[in-house]
Amino acid sequence: MTKELKPVTGRAWVFGNDVNTDQIIQGQYLTLLDYAEMAKHTFEIPRPVFKSKVKKNDIVIAGRNFGGGSSREEAPKVLLQSGIGCVVAESFARIFYRNGFNVGLPLLIIPNVAKLVSDGETVIVDLIEGTLSVRSSGDVLHGKPLPSRMLNLLKEGGAVAWYKQSSGKH
Amino acid sequence: MGYTLAEKLLASHTNDGKATAGDIVEANVDLLMVHEVLGSRILGVLEEMEFKKVWDPERIVVVNDHWAPASDINSAEIHRRNRNFVKDQGITHFYDVDCGISHHVLPEKGLIVPGELVIGSDSHSTTYGAFNTFSTGLAATDSALILATGSCWFRVPDSIRIDVTGELQDMVMSKDLILKIISDLGPDGANYQSMEFHGDTIDTMKVGERMTISNMSVEAGAKCAPMTVNGHVNKWMETLAPSKRWKPTLPDKDAEYIDTRTYDIKSDPLGPMVATPDSPTNGKAVREVSGVPIDQAFIGSCTNGRIGDLEIAAKILKGKKIREGVRLIITPASKHTWMMALERGLLKIFMEAGGIVTNSTCGACVGGHLGVLGAGEVCISSTNRNFKGRMGHQDSRIYLASPATVAASALMGAITDPRSV
Ligand code: SF4
Repeated sequence: MTKELKPVTGRAWVFGNDVNTDQIIQGQYLTLLDYAEMAKHTFEIPRPVFKSKVKKNDIVIAGRNFGGGSSREEAPKVLLQSGIGCVVAESFARIFYRNGFNVGLPLLIIPNVAKLVSDGETVIVDLIEGTLSVRSSGDVLHGKPLPSRMLNLLKEGGAVAWYKQSSGKH
Repeated sequence: MGYTLAEKLLASHTNDGKATAGDIVEANVDLLMVHEVLGSRILGVLEEMEFKKVWDPERIVVVNDHWAPASDINSAEIHRRNRNFVKDQGITHFYDVDCGISHHVLPEKGLIVPGELVIGSDSHSTTYGAFNTFSTGLAATDSALILATGSCWFRVPDSIRIDVTGELQDMVMSKDLILKIISDLGPDGANYQSMEFHGDTIDTMKVGERMTISNMSVEAGAKCAPMTVNGHVNKWMETLAPSKRWKPTLPDKDAEYIDTRTYDIKSDPLGPMVATPDSPTNGKAVREVSGVPIDQAFIGSCTNGRIGDLEIAAKILKGKKIREGVRLIITPASKHTWMMALERGLLKIFMEAGGIVTNSTCGACVGGHLGVLGAGEVCISSTNRNFKGRMGHQDSRIYLASPATVAASALMGAITDPRSV
């Protein structure tokens, strides 16, 4: 059930440095048991328009240290639930990085990406190559290719699928 | 080449006994703590995994602490699910809504043992580093995998060595020291890394004060924050966990650190610090912000809700009244802490000063209940995070400080240097 990792094409939502998990989804919504309900509050503080404007395969672009703070897996989950196709940042906070791949949200590191992409622009992210191209200008930004462990997790469709596969529970 | 504390503590949990910074290793977990995230998220993941039995019911701790007792129907449902899981799986260590905050309750129950690998479904699980453990926070999916298998993969972190020498001055607390250290590092200054603490300041520090430091290291992005065992930890283990067998772990003399930072607070004394909104790494000397008016003062949380914290606050508040219009909320970290505060007469001092004493819970710290902030309100808090909206409305503002500074500020109705009251 390995998935093919096709390039993601979508509009960029550009954020700055240190967007923490409370900004992605606030603590007060964590007791909501339904992810669809919770996702209505994604980026409520930094970008109140996000929830009404986000479209499938849109891409979150951020500066340094995206996803710091709480360990809440709800953060990558509400991004997935909102339709976000991948997150490209200059760096990620440790727990968020693990969580993203665990739940099947691709995360790519590209230096200076938040300065080089404008909000609303259409970009194409190739996870295998580790690149982002800006559709209008044709500019291509190069990042680090994904570590093989992370690539495999994505191909399997997240950590649960990987677990079932490796423990022969298919 | 020698090994750091993080490397040695992890190496003792891998099958081949090896762990070098940068390696990805599979390690066997000694203890897993899960809280409300079990009922809200982990159970769903376990279901997808077609899970049947936990790997070891004696090595799992379940705590209902964030919204304790339930603040609404959803948290009540989460607590109910946790109780059922504990029963179904025969889990030995369960601390329900009457017990207090996980990161304080686990050590208090003697469950944190030097040398062990401890994981929690909570980012502040770095707290247990004060007990010479490798401990870190993971989220729902990783916790579910550990519940099922007892093991997990880790990237062995590089280490930053932090040496602190000298004595903390009167009314200056370990909170001030860690606010200073993380402000120097910045919010990602220790991302993916271990912050390893040494020096006579750390070696003579009481257990509670050390826990504050390991707890807040995660605010600089640290994966873990281990210390070596000192006399206070020894005594703690003898008293609270007499049946446990353990050996202290030391780093090698020639261990390799990617950075070494030295704080000499003897020749360069440290004063009280305040972290301004919206980052715990915005540390400033208290004099730079003194006079900022406050609506609420909060003393509690896994950072600073321990008996030593309540004692210093009571010392400042004794026989005095807080400023009219200010709310002072005190939330002891655990039931045991609460009882000690009762016996020592601290709760009476707080109530007579005009404060509110709540039960032990995360409560206000996570903007859950018992002290949620309204629009435009300002709070000075002994907690660990002042992110926008953390304790309530997105237009409220949080200043982080030591319990001494919070108590002094409650008296004056504005941010105040505790040495001045
Ligand atoms: S007291 Fe605050 S920081 Fe500590 S575990 Fe509870 S919510 Fe988290």
